[in-house]
Formats: sequence, C-alpha cells, structure tokens
Amino acid sequence: MEDMNAEKEKQKEGTAATNAGSQSDPRLIAFVCNWCTYNGADLAGTSRMKYSDNVRVIKLPCTGRIDPLFIVEAFKKGAKGVLVSGCHPGDCHYTSGNYHSRRKYATFRDLLGYLGVDLNRVEFSWISASEGNKWVAVINEFTDKIKSLPDKTTDIFTKK
Amino acid sequence: MANTKTDEKLQKIAKDLLESGEVNLIIGYTKGSNPQRMRPVFITKPEEVEKLSFSHNAVQDLAVFLKKQEVKKYGKIGITVKGCDEKAVNSLIQEYQLSRDNIKIIGMQCNGVIKQNLADKGETKVSETTVYDKCLICQEHTPVLYDFLIETEEPELSLSGNVKPYADIEKLDELSTEEKNAYWAKEFDKCIKCYACRQACPLCFCSRCIVEKNMPQWIDTNSEEPGNAQWNMIRAYHLSGRCIGCGECERACPVNIPLMLINEKMARDVYNLFGYKSGLDINAKPVFGVFSENDFNDFIK
Repeated sequence: MEDMNAEKEKQKEGTAATNAGSQSDPRLIAFVCNWCTYNGADLAGTSRMKYSDNVRVIKLPCTGRIDPLFIVEAFKKGAKGVLVSGCHPGDCHYTSGNYHSRRKYATFRDLLGYLGVDLNRVEFSWISASEGNKWVAVINEFTDKIKSLPDKTTDIFTKK
Repeated sequence: MANTKTDEKLQKIAKDLLESGEVNLIIGYTKGSNPQRMRPVFITKPEEVEKLSFSHNAVQDLAVFLKKQEVKKYGKIGITVKGCDEKAVNSLIQEYQLSRDNIKIIGMQCNGVIKQNLADKGETKVSETTVYDKCLICQEHTPVLYDFLIETEEPELSLSGNVKPYADIEKLDELSTEEKNAYWAKEFDKCIKCYACRQACPLCFCSRCIVEKNMPQWIDTNSEEPGNAQWNMIRAYHLSGRCIGCGECERACPVNIPLMLINEKMARDVYNLFGYKSGLDINAKPVFGVFSENDFNDFIK
C-alpha cells in the first residue's frame, strides 16, 4: 500500500516535471510483446535485478501490433524516449509478426529522422523470455543515453 | 478548337468501348474553361466522346476517382492515364481495391506535363524547366500496363542535367537534426488540416481514415502543433512504399507544403532497404505485406 502511494506521488511529480521541461526524471515508454520481452522483463524482476525506474512498460500481443502511431502518441504525450522490443527473428509466437514489424520500423525510423526527430530517442531491441539481463542492460543504457541528451529538445511534437 | 490526332484516336477507342458495352463509363480529360487547363470528364454515352481530349496540360491523376463509390457502381470502367497515373491503377489492383477484369486502361504516352502555375501564365512548351519534377525522374513515359496505347505527338523531353529534380531531398539529408526539425516545423505550421492531400491521393482509399477515428482520438483535429506534424507524419508513413509519385497531394495543398519531398524520400528509402518500387507489377506483393528473413536489422539491438 505504501508502495502504491509512493508510486502515485512519484507520478504526480513526474507530470509536473514534464510540464516544467525538466530532464531530471525523463520518462521512457517501452512497448513490448507479450511473449518474449515482457517475460524477459518479468524474469529480471523475479531475479531481483535492478534497472532504471524511468521506464514504463506497455504490453501488447506482438511487435506486429505496435503501430508507429503509438510511438508518435508517446512522444506527443511527453515521453523522452520510446523503446520497441519483441521476440528475436524466428521466435515470434505468431510466426511472422516481428518480421513485419522490422520492415515497418526500418522505414518509420527513416521517416522520423528525416522529419527532424532525434533518433537517439527511439530504440529497438529483440529480447527473449530468458534474457532478463539483456533487458536490464538495454533499459539502463537507453536511460543513460536519454539523460545525456540536451535538456531542452524541441521537435515537431513539441507543443507551441 | 480542332482536334489533334491524339484526341481523334482517343475518341475512337472510347466510342468503340462504350458502343460495344465493354465499359459503362470512361474517365478522361476534357478541355477546361481556359486553353491552358484540362479538367476531368466522365463519359457514359458514345455520342459524348468528342469531349475527350489530352495534352501536356493534363496534370490530374484520374486514378483517384477509381476509389469513389459513385464511380465503382458503374462496374466496368475505362480510364485515360499517363504513365505515372497508371502506376496508381497497378497499386490499386495489387491491393485488391480493383479487379483487372473491370478496367480498361487507355494508356497515354506522355513526355511531361507543364506545371499548372506556369501554364496559367501562358507557357506552352514542354521542357525541363517547365514540367513537374516527377516528369524529370519519370521512367514510365509509356505506361507499364495498358489495353490501348496512344502515342504522343510531343517531342521527347530532353534533359541537360542542369535541373535537379527533388534537389531539396539531398540538401535536407545533409542538415543536422535541429535544422531539419526547424525546416519541417515551419512547413507543418502552415497546415490547415483540410486533408486535400488525402482526398487527391489515389492510394488513400480507407473508407474511414485514421484522423476520423475518435475512440481514441489519435490525431488532434485542430490545425495546431503537434497535431499537424502528427497528421503529416502518419500520412507519409501510410504512403511509404506505396506512393507512386504522381504529386497530386502537393498540387492539391492550398498552403504549398512540399509533400513530395517526403514521399519521394520514403520511396527512395524503401527502394534502398527492400529493392521495391511501387506500382510496376500487378502481381508483386505490396512491400509491407511480405518480409524477408534477411531484412535490414542494423538498427535493432
């Protein structure tokens, strides 16, 4: 219960911090697939590994379900970084969802870059259910990268 | 005005098609209210075929009408298309929006269409400085697929190489992230969300567009940032790997956002990544409908 209250407090602070444009607590959103990366993150948790608490995980059935629109929406709502992660090629629960998503994201990433979004703010990874340590490494590395970006970044998602 | 040979051939084909009942409707161009403009015309009766005409002022992509319910109800349709527009027909067939059996393609060989703003000022000569950028990179002066072909009377477009089509793409590529951002923020700021780019596009055929979905509301309806950027980004994304480069979105844009710079860039990127060019083969699978195990993987950890 105490944890929950603390979490709520933190969220409030988080929103206030985003509004003020502060970089001390950048919010990262991770869109992960149900079958591999989510279980990988779960393994990291059950193994009591510590990783950056800036990340918020959103679980979807498959990377094929993660529409680039979600990334745009996350940025618009104030996320500093977005991670998309799913099963390794060949391991997709639905056989080919991650292959389709790889094609989509190769293109979408180019589009983001061309329209002037800092590509350091988007990250993609394949993390399997047994790779709890890779999840920890990816999240920590990504958080460090986001924290090292200039405090005030403007891009086409910034509200005027 | 006297009919040119091209017009006569076109009218004869259209007449035969309508009289034999092979098609119920012909979509074509007719002379507009001033001599430098052409406008679309819909012919259902054989005696009306003399309205049909074609010239270097026929800028519109008529394939856009194939997505309309009002046109679809005619069943079998004949359409007058330039090489670039014909690629849109191919893409529609590829994406199961159209059956090859229901369409008769009257292909018009074309050596470039004159920019409308120049034509309005009286420009009548097709040259590398007067045609659209899409004509300079055009590989399909003769349509890739047709039932009837009408050869052009225009002289071939001579390219000296001095005019660089879509030169701004390379310029933009060299800019830093901030500079790119500044450029596009300025362009998208002009957007008034009229969705003319969508309406003019032959490949934007969703019966319910993402901007009209409001549960949840993905894209803000007011014409302010960040909704403008979001709309333009998603429009470009939905067309990457599909856009055939007819340039109608840019021509329709009332505030002159250089949309073709995005579309053409995405077309180039998709070609570099997957070796796919849209609209060339009706039997090819759309680029995002298939995958390869060896696809580009460098950006993924």
